[in-house]
Amino acid sequence: MSVIRRNNVVVSGHGEKAIVFSHGFGCDQNMWRFVAPEFETRFQTVLFDHVGAGKSDLGAYDPEKYGDLHGYAEDLVEIGEALGLKQAVFVGHSVSAMIGALASLKAPDMFEALVMVGPSPRYIDDIGYKGGFSPADIEELLASLADNHMGWSIAMAPAIMGNSDRPELGQELADSFCRTDPAIAKAFARVTFTSDNRADLPRVTARTLILQCKDDIIASEAIGEYVRDHIPGSRLVVLDATGHCPNLSAPREVVAAIQDFV
Amino acid sequence: MDHDTDFRDLFDNAPCGYLVLNDKGRIVLVNETLRIWLDLVDDELLGKRLLDLLPVAGRVFYETHFAPLLRMQGFFHEVALDVVRRDGTRLPVLANATQRVDADGEVKETRIALFQATSRRKYERELFEANEAGDQARKEIETLNKALTETGRLRDEFIAILGHDLRNPVAAIGGGMRILSKEDLSSRGQQVVRLIDGSVARMGRLIDDVLDLTRGRMGGGLTISRKVEEDLSLHLKQVVAELSTGSGRRIDVEIDLPEPVLVDAGRIDQLVSNLLGNALSHGAEDKPVGLSARVAGHDLVISVSNGGDPIPPETIGRLFQPFFRGGDAAGRHEQGLGLGLHIASEIAKAHGGTLSVSSSAEKTTFEFRMPIGAEN
Repeated sequence: MSVIRRNNVVVSGHGEKAIVFSHGFGCDQNMWRFVAPEFETRFQTVLFDHVGAGKSDLGAYDPEKYGDLHGYAEDLVEIGEALGLKQAVFVGHSVSAMIGALASLKAPDMFEALVMVGPSPRYIDDIGYKGGFSPADIEELLASLADNHMGWSIAMAPAIMGNSDRPELGQELADSFCRTDPAIAKAFARVTFTSDNRADLPRVTARTLILQCKDDIIASEAIGEYVRDHIPGSRLVVLDATGHCPNLSAPREVVAAIQDFV
Repeated sequence: MDHDTDFRDLFDNAPCGYLVLNDKGRIVLVNETLRIWLDLVDDELLGKRLLDLLPVAGRVFYETHFAPLLRMQGFFHEVALDVVRRDGTRLPVLANATQRVDADGEVKETRIALFQATSRRKYERELFEANEAGDQARKEIETLNKALTETGRLRDEFIAILGHDLRNPVAAIGGGMRILSKEDLSSRGQQVVRLIDGSVARMGRLIDDVLDLTRGRMGGGLTISRKVEEDLSLHLKQVVAELSTGSGRRIDVEIDLPEPVLVDAGRIDQLVSNLLGNALSHGAEDKPVGLSARVAGHDLVISVSNGGDPIPPETIGRLFQPFFRGGDAAGRHEQGLGLGLHIASEIAKAHGGTLSVSSSAEKTTFEFRMPIGAEN
């Protein structure tokens, strides 16, 4: 199984430099479809699905390897090695922002710049740190995934059958959005929401841009500031966009901010 | 009533909850139905986000799954959500949403309709729990099956070793009896030796049956080694003599084997011995037991019959299963292990033949039939 097939790696665009887009929990590479094409004229764009998401090889899922974010970071490094990436730009949404930071520590030459969209080094509150969630919140989330998966499987099937309003998205998107193995989704949720990578932040040496939304219930502005304060030389840009997915809700603002940075 | 009032009423008192969000995702309109469901007033709802109505877990799930879907395809249907009422209780709903987008693709407005789904959610959860319970039960059965298979294997192994170890002492007793029988014994002594001899022979047959069974189960299969027997009748008569002496009963013999047969004579002895032993213990004591061996067409046919009560139809199908024990003629329980007929049918199969049974009020007949000379 090649890394390229395992992670459903899709390379497009023209350019000396590569830019890698990495999706977060609950999504797949389609999250970047309003953003990544904007970089194709200047960059080689690289999109991929984490193992367990989208069109990745579900058979490659190993609960032990993916038991923390390092397993995902190793995959990212392997993708970079397979494509021969050097001094590339990494753009990671949500939990992938931390996966990219870990990968940059494992392979320092691979990424010269990191763009973190809605990052959080730790979701659960701690002494002197406000992650935004109590341990009970996260336990409820994990416990309710079974319910939600049932809601998902029953509720989503009809919704994704017909894309009458936006036919250009087509069946391809619908297909991959269905492809969330519930057991893997639950494990990924646990890994994501119980992660604590605060100690890794000061070690990051890549140029770092943090894109922070207003009104993001998953990663608040205070967390964006925390990340900025702990990654040496990093820059925080607060977008006008609200919610946790500016790459979908405000793609132009995200594109502009990234272009400005790279 | 003018149309405006009409539509306002239609909106406010619709049989579903209704919400309109502005371009920032803030609630700008809520209908009366939803206000009643949530026990909240306009002031508490306007300006809030849809997320503010959800429990924390639901918010995360919504933000990571449904919000992206809504943005990408412009709508969602039948999304399962819980909304939180004033008193903190949760109302399960199904939500449909559509987005109105301007010429630049910017979202101007999101309309959301909510339908109560309490019973449906309860049913779904029960279904889910039943599935989980089913999975759990299946796993337990698999574990039990594995344990049973392992127990069965160990038991077979144990029986095989035990059977093997019993052979030598039984053979020693048999040898001792042969020496004793040549001594000058009183008539009472001779009678005892004969009885013991019969018992030793029977014990030997039981041990052979057990070993054959365990070999068959443990994958070795029942082995036969065929050769041309010019006169199988000598073997048959020997078996008849042994059983007749042991039981003290007459066995009518009718043998007509004009041509040689390709068989494992030792195994045929075992087969016939099992059938005769069976006939003697199950048949009526006052009715004769008969053995017939003949050639019919291209087949060697050996049949053993006895009189007495017919075999009940419901047990006929199980006769050849291992450890099946029918009652004897007098209703007593058989003393053996219930392996005789099973082994006999396995021997028949190993010869490329069959063992069948027919039973009526007149007589019960077991018939072994195999092609003469065929390799299989």
